Amino acid sequence: MQEISLLLAVGLNHYLILSAILFTIGLSGVLLRRNLIVVMMSIELMLNAVNISFVAFSKYNYNPEGQVIVFFVMTIAAAEAAVGLAIIVSIFKRFKEVNIRFFEHLKG
Amino acid sequence: MSMDTVLFWFLSLIVIVPALAVVLLSNPVYSALSLVMTMVGVAAVFATLNAYFLAGVQLIVYTGAVMVLFVMVLMLFDLKHDLQTFSRGKVSGFLKIAGVGVMAGLLVGAISLATKKPSLIVEGSPLANELAAAAASGADNTKILAENLFLRNMLGFEILGVLLLVIAVGTVALSRSKGGTHARD
Amino acid sequence: MGNSSLEIIINLAKTVVVFLMMVQAVPILVWLERRGSAFIQNRFGPNRVGPLGLVQLLADAAKFLNKEDFVPDKGNRLLFYAAPVFALIPAAVAYMAMPMSTPLKIGDSTFLIQGYEVNVGIVFILGISAMAVYTMLMAGFGSSSKFSLMGAMRASAQVISYELALGLAIVGVIMMYGTFNLTDMVLAQQGAFHFSGFGREFSLSFLPNWGIFYQPLGAVIFFAAAFAESNRLPFDLAEGEAELVAGFHTEYGGFKMLMFFIGEYGHMMIASGLMTTFYFGGYGIPGWTIAEVYQTGVSIFGSETGGSIFSSVMHFLSYNVKFAIFLWIFIHVRWTLPRFRYDQLMDLGWKTMLPWALFNTILTATVIFLASQYVI
Repeated sequence: MQEISLLLAVGLNHYLILSAILFTIGLSGVLLRRNLIVVMMSIELMLNAVNISFVAFSKYNYNPEGQVIVFFVMTIAAAEAAVGLAIIVSIFKRFKEVNIRFFEHLKG
Repeated sequence: MSMDTVLFWFLSLIVIVPALAVVLLSNPVYSALSLVMTMVGVAAVFATLNAYFLAGVQLIVYTGAVMVLFVMVLMLFDLKHDLQTFSRGKVSGFLKIAGVGVMAGLLVGAISLATKKPSLIVEGSPLANELAAAAASGADNTKILAENLFLRNMLGFEILGVLLLVIAVGTVALSRSKGGTHARD
Repeated sequence: MGNSSLEIIINLAKTVVVFLMMVQAVPILVWLERRGSAFIQNRFGPNRVGPLGLVQLLADAAKFLNKEDFVPDKGNRLLFYAAPVFALIPAAVAYMAMPMSTPLKIGDSTFLIQGYEVNVGIVFILGISAMAVYTMLMAGFGSSSKFSLMGAMRASAQVISYELALGLAIVGVIMMYGTFNLTDMVLAQQGAFHFSGFGREFSLSFLPNWGIFYQPLGAVIFFAAAFAESNRLPFDLAEGEAELVAGFHTEYGGFKMLMFFIGEYGHMMIASGLMTTFYFGGYGIPGWTIAEVYQTGVSIFGSETGGSIFSSVMHFLSYNVKFAIFLWIFIHVRWTLPRFRYDQLMDLGWKTMLPWALFNTILTATVIFLASQYVI
């Protein structure tokens, strides 16, 4: 009976678990992948996961502040993507590959 | 089984399967296109949470601009397959995933223990009625959001504007310094 | 969606009908385009198959179906096949949110004359039609040809640049009507030209209350940006024949090519529909308000259902007349103006249209604020 109600009554916890799964996938992408662009895409995944939990909290606590924060997160994600891609393009121009190990050549 | 429930399970499938594909596929172009699918799914999840305006903004900003940049850059590079998709060390890799999973699980457990109240809404209670009223007046949602953004969070909004300007200048400077996509030298 | 199962079924069927309507309009538009271009260039155009050449497109479609299913050898097969299918989806989904007439009331049930109503209509349509970029990128990358890739890059850079001007031009409209809902916008444009501000009422009885009279600059910017968004001449750098063969669909032939065509015409239809809805009163008939049309219908047919049907039909005709005029402007411009150079295109988007759209936004906001605060 407990399992069925868990399946049928979708509440805050369901959205939180969805967000956590998405965040885990994103973080494992950041830790495991070697391609810089895929690493950045995994970061976008993590930001989206956090956005889901913000919006879910905003709905279930009747507080619109959560949605405002999502706005800010989206703006910062767009800015981060722009700068990150600019760096990646300059790395590609230099080494003809976008593997993460080329980052150590950036110093100096 | 109500429509919302079916929708939630369907959408969570649409969000999670492409998200896995982003990490697991070795062709970065497929990863990027899967990420677009995830973004669309997340927008739909926002819509089920009555954040209609945010859902639209998610579509415009993420799928319309950010991901287009990613896909364009990938296609310019024309990388077929990554020579070394994942980092070395199978054991450490599994340890990393397991560590992250445990952390996320603990986080969700802690949050759901701390916020028991909203998930215990009973059908027909005053709280449920209020929720239904809020869901029915979805159009007012945007107005409330705007008032919150422009009256209570004005400083943050202005700072974001300045940040975006700095980012725009910085990106142009970065891509021009040592030859961007249109190098002359 | 509805309260009875019949209503739900009809609403679901309606989405299919709207999609078919959009697809069926394409052969007519192609015929119009070919005959129109022939008229402009003093030629005959297709005039052999059927009356006035109207059946030419059916013959073409039959020919397309018989063509060889060609895939480039080095190409990415998955993306190559997926791209034409995805070309249809954004256009169709976005077009369904367009209100085309007053709701049909039969007995207790109400049927909207649109696929579905979205209360953030504009944001939804912009977001969905922004996804058309992926079609071009997938086609360009999938066919693994330099021309295709260059065409796709140009097209996507152009689309995301002009999206800014397009979005900012719409902000003025949103501020003026105070809503995201397209139906509410149409209802706000009813009757004769009138507005209240600065503590008094202004009205002109000979002008309709259309958005173009409040937002002329926004309308011009929106229409120009809509041309760029749908990749039509003078902005069709993506398929500049002299430079890129045919842009992102160089490698496509047969039915897959036809699907790209349908997608492109779909974007044209969305642009025309939005132009009608934002600036030209939507489905409203100038000088004849919705209530008056309804009353006329009731007095002719003697029942409320008859009045409702009459009102829906009349407004649907009115919408389609305006819609067709804008589609014709699209076609006429294509065969009248030459193509821009690529740097001119980018300069126009970023250095001319974006500042003017920003100016329009600020001007609208200032006037709305002053009109609500001060008395002349």
